Amino acid sequence: MDFNFSEHQNMLRDEARRFLARECPKTKVKELEKDGKCYDSQVWRDMAEMGWMGLVLPEEHEGLNADFIDLMILMEEMGRNILPGPFFSTVALCALPILEYGTDAQKAEYLAPISRGERIWTLAMTESSGGYGASAIKAGAKLEGGEFVINDEKMFVPYADVADYLLVIARTARSKVPEKGLTFFIVDARKPGTSIETIPTLTGERQCKISFKNVKIPEKDILGKVGQGWDIVEYIMRKATVLKCAEVSGACQAVLDMSNTYAKERMQFGKPIGTFQVIQHKLVDMLIDVEGLQYLVYQAAWLLSTGAPCDLQIAITKARANEVYRSVALGGVKIHGAIGFTMDHDIGLYYRRVLGAESFLGDTDLHLEKVAANIGL
Amino acid sequence: MDFKLSEKEDALREEIRRFAEAEIPPDFIHNFLDEEGLDEDWAFTMSISKKLARKGWLVMAWPKKYGGQEASYLEQMVLAMEATYWGIPGLGMGISGTAWVGPSLMLYGSEEQRQKYLPSIASGDSDGVWCTGYSEPNAGSDFANIQTRAVREGDEYIVNGQKVWTSCAHRARWCWLALVTDPNAAKKRHGISLLIVDMKSPGITVRPLLNYSGVHIFNEVFFDNVRVPAANLVGQENRGWYQLMQSLAYERHSVGAQIYGAGKRMLESLVEYVAETKENGVSLSQNPVIRHKLAERAIELETLKMLSYEIAWKMSQGVIPIYEASRNKAYGDCLQERMANTGTEILGAYSQIDQNSRFAKLKGAIQHLYLLFPGITIAAGTDEIEKNIIGQFKLGLPKSY
Repeated sequence: MDFNFSEHQNMLRDEARRFLARECPKTKVKELEKDGKCYDSQVWRDMAEMGWMGLVLPEEHEGLNADFIDLMILMEEMGRNILPGPFFSTVALCALPILEYGTDAQKAEYLAPISRGERIWTLAMTESSGGYGASAIKAGAKLEGGEFVINDEKMFVPYADVADYLLVIARTARSKVPEKGLTFFIVDARKPGTSIETIPTLTGERQCKISFKNVKIPEKDILGKVGQGWDIVEYIMRKATVLKCAEVSGACQAVLDMSNTYAKERMQFGKPIGTFQVIQHKLVDMLIDVEGLQYLVYQAAWLLSTGAPCDLQIAITKARANEVYRSVALGGVKIHGAIGFTMDHDIGLYYRRVLGAESFLGDTDLHLEKVAANIGL
Repeated sequence: MDFKLSEKEDALREEIRRFAEAEIPPDFIHNFLDEEGLDEDWAFTMSISKKLARKGWLVMAWPKKYGGQEASYLEQMVLAMEATYWGIPGLGMGISGTAWVGPSLMLYGSEEQRQKYLPSIASGDSDGVWCTGYSEPNAGSDFANIQTRAVREGDEYIVNGQKVWTSCAHRARWCWLALVTDPNAAKKRHGISLLIVDMKSPGITVRPLLNYSGVHIFNEVFFDNVRVPAANLVGQENRGWYQLMQSLAYERHSVGAQIYGAGKRMLESLVEYVAETKENGVSLSQNPVIRHKLAERAIELETLKMLSYEIAWKMSQGVIPIYEASRNKAYGDCLQERMANTGTEILGAYSQIDQNSRFAKLKGAIQHLYLLFPGITIAAGTDEIEKNIIGQFKLGLPKSY
């Protein structure tokens, strides 16, 4: 048993926290929301220079070959600070599955540019229902003369408008079992027939709709095996979900810290509002939730890094993250009172982001159902 | 970073399981925290205490010279989880002796006191059963307001006053008693001391208080000119408050692990129950509302497991777990409440059946928890007090009372 991070992991966390606070202050987060740019290209380049995009990629792909737990630490800090941009979609949703399922040629072609910060990627999986079950994937790709042709639409694709490449999952064979007959494709986002429409959101994170019209994909751009795309979905759902939960956990820690500080400063009835037990107990409930979530995330990341089976722990962690983020963010707004309801204050940035994180990679119901199935129900 | 139990800790889990199979009859109902209720339960509990002592588990954390094993905090956590999971009674011997009297004597008792009292606790002897006299009618959460008095007369203290909610006083050989030795102290807490009192002393009256289930766990204890040898003072006179604060965190640190073990067992039995129980030909386990409720309980249990791991690990690193112990108790209390609610909702009409009736489901364990959990949330510090402690010591908020 060891709850400690290694010395180099602590350094990575410190470095990330300092860098993000300096280069992506809340004023910048709000500017990016306001002017419709969804990320800061200078911050992106700096992150690439520090090796963050290739953190867990092998050296042959210009990565740093670091542990999955290191990447979890980065996500926790990005969540704490808030970092709008396509880091998660590029690294967690695309680079990891390419590394695991790509051919040598695909890895050689695509991974090093990701490490260098030269290419942005995203995952086009969900459709109009917004759900993550296999039956929600209806978009089809037909084999015509040695090439697959996609005609259909994808919804809730993060940062597709700035992406260079898309990982697209589509149905290539009919089957009674919805998990069968799915295939992943690597698609150049600027390929003729691909049109991308941005969807305005209230979270500050970019969402897009993609329409494919007769987009032709050669065999070499299939990721993994034809018809076995669901394996890749499960792989993404494991790794990316834990990283998303780390981001949520970091955000919850930030909300707690801000609220606790405010409760000590804000005077009413001649004393800090943190003197009142209603406020104290609200903060304590938030603390207990935040610490519990933090350790669930650490356990899930550690299990993944050891290769142990952990579908139950991942589902537990995501369902818990959803619940804790909602209640902690709301608690934070309430403790701040009216100022927390304004654009001037930062707490609302977290409160709005709950809606993006909660449904992403499976909502609470989906993960509760996974937990139920894994405890013998 | 590493969250697995060591081979030694895993081996201990396995040994506890074998012990439970060998020693605990399948029809025995372990009523967590009210072992002292019925005479026959108590006799069985004490027989298990002796066997636990022989295994070296009764006071596994203590130094070898006082009958312990010098077991690690993680091993203690494993024992706390597994004993409640398997329904093994007897680890507390009325709670006080093994959990805090012994550790406190080792912290600030005299060597003579250690020699006299520790062996009977460590061996599971009936002379090692203690009760604790803290609460009084006007001193619950406001513990410093106690009024039971001790006046020194030569080599003795003369004790007068009343204690209440004294668990196990009707079974105990000794009382670990907090009282006032200096009523004129500038601050109340500067006038409190700890005495060891022989429960056979003339002038002590123990009057049963039945809880709302009719179970006799706690008592009123009256002290009428009770003579206590001055040698029974523990630590320094008027330093009792500070001594107690030191041992309180140790008193609470394994509560989370105990609740985890009991809760895990209960969840598993509910999962089995809903699989076997059919409504209109469909098993309850297919009902999405029930599936989600039980999944939520599983999530809370996993969270409590991690919080229990953390406190044991921190203590192994030399941290005194002040807020962590309160956190785990508060979270564990909340989990028990939800488990009891989910369980009784699933049992429906069967939840109202007496635990000992042949119609009771799951040995009546669910309704027993429903009746017991409000008491657990109050004992050893109410949830509200625990949250005050966390607010003050972890979040650095001003004292609120």
